Amino acid sequence: MSLYRQTLALTSRLLLKQALKTRITGETRNIKRWVAPTLNELYTRRLKVGPEPPQPRSTFLEWNYEAEVFAFGKRLGEDFDKNILKQALTHRSFVIAEEEKAKQKGVQFEELASNRSLIKESDKIVSDFLKEEFKEHPDDVAEALHDYLTSVDMLAHVASHMGLRDIILTSEFPVENSTLADTFKAVVAALKQSQDLARAQIFVKDFLISQLNGKDIFDIWNPEKPLEYLTNLLRQRGINEFEPRLCNQSAANTILANYQVGLYNNKKLLGIGWGESIQIAKETAALDAIQRLHYQK
Amino acid sequence: MSNSHIFLKSGFIRTPSQNGVGRYVCQLQRVVLKFCKNNGSSRGMREFVESELINFAKNNPGVVVYLKPRRHRAPVISAEFLNGDKQWVSCHNYSKQDISKWLNLLRTQSGNTTGFRLRKLQHTDHPSIQGPWTPYTFKDPAENLAEYPNTELSKPKIQLKTATDELLEIFNSVQISDKKGVE
Repeated sequence: MSLYRQTLALTSRLLLKQALKTRITGETRNIKRWVAPTLNELYTRRLKVGPEPPQPRSTFLEWNYEAEVFAFGKRLGEDFDKNILKQALTHRSFVIAEEEKAKQKGVQFEELASNRSLIKESDKIVSDFLKEEFKEHPDDVAEALHDYLTSVDMLAHVASHMGLRDIILTSEFPVENSTLADTFKAVVAALKQSQDLARAQIFVKDFLISQLNGKDIFDIWNPEKPLEYLTNLLRQRGINEFEPRLCNQSAANTILANYQVGLYNNKKLLGIGWGESIQIAKETAALDAIQRLHYQK
Repeated sequence: MSNSHIFLKSGFIRTPSQNGVGRYVCQLQRVVLKFCKNNGSSRGMREFVESELINFAKNNPGVVVYLKPRRHRAPVISAEFLNGDKQWVSCHNYSKQDISKWLNLLRTQSGNTTGFRLRKLQHTDHPSIQGPWTPYTFKDPAENLAEYPNTELSKPKIQLKTATDELLEIFNSVQISDKKGVE
């Protein structure tokens, strides 16, 4: 009996030791206590350092320049000559940078054609075509439209929405607006050389002139002193004087005052406009009169 | 029903850079198909690559398609658009038809529209043709030369017949018919 008691005591002590062992060392298969705090700390440190600087798309692993250039032409629905298009996309700064690199490494430098001549050629193509398209507008309006469409911001906007940003070869990153604008012009010249002038002009029409869609003439052209401008315009048509008349007014002594002024000549209405004060209303009426004179048949 | 409690970004429907006014340009610039060559979740993607990808690439020469096999990673379509948007579509356990439909959606989108609530489903540059209403649009010009206080203009614009007037009318018409009857 004492033997039985001894073995019982021994086995129960062994079992107790086993249980104690796991509890003391804590070796179980779960996520350890220190994991979450460590990851949180790493995350806050990463945020503190700031976001990663942008990298050019061509440095990614999935990049194929030939495929991108081919797709560029197809996307626009135009048939470009491959070499001329590549020349149009190569900026002079890139050529210089490549030459420097070749010199440093002592490797022979093969001449790369840059798009400088294409840009010059295209300046003329685009300007002539725009002047041709706007010849029915009065002179200063046509000039304002031409300047608006050939401004760097407009050309850069059109170029980046064509997918030029990733395929231009330049030394700087990110690509500047002026470079984008120049490359758009170079692409127009490349199209003219690959196909003909007519196709290049249709290209300019579809991409550049379409940007005027939905815009009012006075969004782009602002005559400095509308009343004086109107006076000169009327004098050219033989009308020497006109009189402003107050048509309507409302809330005169408040901040939301509005006055409606009409410009009349011999009881005929030339233009009507309204504004916060009588002077502003007169100027708006003058602008309306200018628009009616220029564009109503 | 208001939308002020919804945290989605919202805006009006728009086409980037007047696309379609001159000519239509497919706005999908490039698409990267990432998949595992072995794992089961990429099966649909692998089948798509074997059977339908070539047709997609032939029909859309303006879209650059890249294939990126990555071991032990779920299949993914990563799309880049001409306006700079990026969209990431997880294709875990998708069939090849699902992937084909998603690619078609990406091809016809103009940018990443997930998480963007459209305030209206139409857009116009000319919301008013005859000019918006002003307080002067239907104003009677006679009011320009009116002097106030003015009894005529101060009357209510709509004056219906009162009950008293109607009763008087009925009484008068009955009196006349009575008189006629007597004569």
